[in-house]
Amino acid sequence: MDKDIQIVGFRIGRETFGLPIALVREIVRVPEITSVPNAPDYIEGVINLRGRIIPVVDLRKRFGEKVIEASKRNRIVVVELESRAIGLIVNSASEVIKIPPSDIEAPHSVFQEGELNYITGVGKFRGRLVMMLDLSKILQRGELRRLEDAAESAAVATDNMARV
Amino acid sequence: MTFSPDDRASELRDLFFESAEEILQAMNDAGLALEEHPSDKESLRSVRRAVHTLKGDSAACGYRELSELAHELEDVLTPDLVKEHAGLIAEVVLTAADTFRDMLAAYRSNLQPPDGGALREYVQRLLHQPASAGRGRPSEEATATFSWTEYERLLIAESFRRGETVYQVALHLASEAVLPAAAYELVKKALERAGKIVALRPENSGDLVSGGLLEAALASTKPADWIRKRCQVPSVVAQISVNRIPLMETEPRDVLDILVESEAAAVSASVAGQSADPGEIEEEDEAHLSSAPTGLAHAVAENTLRVDAGRIDTVMNLVGELIIGKSMLQRTIAEFERRFAKDALRGKFSDALAFQSRILNELQKSVMKIRMVPVEQLFRRFPRVVRDVAKHLNKEIALEIAGQNTDLDKSILDALAEPLAHLIRNAADHGIETASERAAAGKPVNGTVRLDAYHEGDQVVIEVSDNGRGIDREKVIRRAIERGLMSATDTSRMNESEINHLIFTPGFSTAENVTEISGRGVGLDVVKSALDNLKGSIEIETESGKGTTFRLIVPLTLASIQALLFHVAGRLYAVPISSVVEITRITEAEVHRVDDHEVFQLRQQVLTLVRLERLESTEKFERSKRVFVVVIGAGGRRFGLAVDRLMGEEELVIKALEDQLVTSPLVSGASILGDGTIVLILNIPAVVSHLARIPAVGATA
Repeated sequence: MDKDIQIVGFRIGRETFGLPIALVREIVRVPEITSVPNAPDYIEGVINLRGRIIPVVDLRKRFGEKVIEASKRNRIVVVELESRAIGLIVNSASEVIKIPPSDIEAPHSVFQEGELNYITGVGKFRGRLVMMLDLSKILQRGELRRLEDAAESAAVATDNMARV
Repeated sequence: MTFSPDDRASELRDLFFESAEEILQAMNDAGLALEEHPSDKESLRSVRRAVHTLKGDSAACGYRELSELAHELEDVLTPDLVKEHAGLIAEVVLTAADTFRDMLAAYRSNLQPPDGGALREYVQRLLHQPASAGRGRPSEEATATFSWTEYERLLIAESFRRGETVYQVALHLASEAVLPAAAYELVKKALERAGKIVALRPENSGDLVSGGLLEAALASTKPADWIRKRCQVPSVVAQISVNRIPLMETEPRDVLDILVESEAAAVSASVAGQSADPGEIEEEDEAHLSSAPTGLAHAVAENTLRVDAGRIDTVMNLVGELIIGKSMLQRTIAEFERRFAKDALRGKFSDALAFQSRILNELQKSVMKIRMVPVEQLFRRFPRVVRDVAKHLNKEIALEIAGQNTDLDKSILDALAEPLAHLIRNAADHGIETASERAAAGKPVNGTVRLDAYHEGDQVVIEVSDNGRGIDREKVIRRAIERGLMSATDTSRMNESEINHLIFTPGFSTAENVTEISGRGVGLDVVKSALDNLKGSIEIETESGKGTTFRLIVPLTLASIQALLFHVAGRLYAVPISSVVEITRITEAEVHRVDDHEVFQLRQQVLTLVRLERLESTEKFERSKRVFVVVIGAGGRRFGLAVDRLMGEEELVIKALEDQLVTSPLVSGASILGDGTIVLILNIPAVVSHLARIPAVGATA
């Protein structure tokens, strides 16, 4: 039997997303963010992470959410990608989820098309769906499809899976 | 620590490229000296040393083409031959330096090196013009000497390394053999059939005489007797001796060993040790001894370390972190003192902090010193540049160099290499007039380009000046309008300095004729952008008929800057204090609009007012009645920066915003203050050009 995959789960809007635990360096409260003039919109700015200046991406903006409410539960998930540290602002970071590999489905073809290709897989965890993110795709410049579309496609995808 | 052979080889190559740079520089220096004094023995010796070292080192790295060419060159650089062709020698040396440089560049990028045709031609000319009688290898005596040159010894050593058996073959030509050149070819063919010729002497068929001796080092798998039979060419070869060269004691050898232990010493002991021509030995020994100080062996053994600059950067970064850490500690201790004013620990804390600060200061200085190198490292390249331009244009130009001991951060120095070369070529090409023009203007026929460097506070100034014709501002304006860079109204509003700076605009070039030297489609704008990147600036001083001085002002180091901090629209920014001219206050009523720009008057000058909040340009901010204006001087221009609140001056440790997610041309870096706040350092030139494109608020109304 394969070992369970450990995933850091966090919420953006009403959906749960996940990243492999190996990519996540830490989760911190949202500190003061210094905005950088002329940077792309979804870049909130930079933060001081114990002497290191790292950029912060607001995933909520990245997924096209219009209204963003700051809350005390907001967190920054600091990820390490190709030796770059990048902060991702999320609504709340929930927990470390363990999912057996068999419970993670490859993304439905809907996800592989166009701008939605940042979903690498959909996991099932206690009746919820956890969408696994492809970090490198998210951090590319350019627009991403709206979050609702992603959620919708995920639902369609799992529907199809159930039928088969 | 263990290295795989690959690591060692690539490390060796890196070492080689680095030392080759020095060798080429030495050749250039010597070449220029020889041009002045063709009979300068010391310079010639230094060239020979250089070529010799290059030959050995490149052979060890497997760069055969380079090694062979160096070998050919070394052969012709004998004092006798040089004496005969005194006029040619400097040219040969300089051409050689260029050829080698091209070849090295090709090797570096793993390309096939150019064949160095020009150099070969020179070598041939030296060889074939009636040479002195002493020329040629001593082939008249009939005893085998096997006095291989060092290069050949290296080749032999290489064969050994590959596990081949190497024989020394001595072939005496029959005295009755006619056509020795043909005999040579016959014997050579025979040798080739018997094995692989590693070295052959004489090298040219023309140098062989009837009854002479042919010596060869032959790598072969066959026994000695078989070889002897093979080489027995009837009525041509009178006598043959074949001896196996004993194996080296120093197996296993590798390229690094060959280099480090005084090159082929071990080989020469067993190969040439039999009965070598005493003169030959002496010459070789001299080469050995004198090559030591410049060769690779030297780089490995001497008490100097060559360290990858990246490692020093890492240390520098850590020191930067420590400085931030120190100010964190300072704040905490200040807080502690407020809360526990009577605590006995207070004194101990401050003592410890003072001690730590002192050490930290020392540490920062020491690390910075490691990165500092004298500007001479860069300046010494330029005599060659000036000489080439002068020669090409038939001008007489002297280069004066001063202040070469001024220290500067290595990375800054490297970044200045191109811009400086550009300015110098420009000065020699466009600045200095032709001899006849100069004579007509009543100036000395010889032009002078002067290069100077000195410290000025926290900055280093490098001056490139010429006593040429100066910048013709009328022509500059005409050209700028012609090229569509400026409108006539724009230029009418410019002051002298701004007009001078037009020459740094991309797409500008005043040369009437595009010359090979400075008109290669790259304008002086590259100079400007290089200086911008270094947070430096350029000043131009020019007087018609008297000459031009370019003053490049760069920070001493890129690691930290003294900066002025201020708030604009709730954001904290910093600008290098060196760019701040003065600070003043004005009321909103004093701000006027001219065309699309907001301007204000400062004493006699009208300055553009730049509002940083418009970088975002979306939100509107309440403006206070009175604003602080930081007057910035950049590239001959002055403008005012409207700020809300001044926060004072501080030394900032620069951290680059490397991540491409946040790179913004407007921000050249960031820093962290003691309380953890991030401050963005503005890239002044970029801010100016960016804001120039946004019309002022309300300007269209």
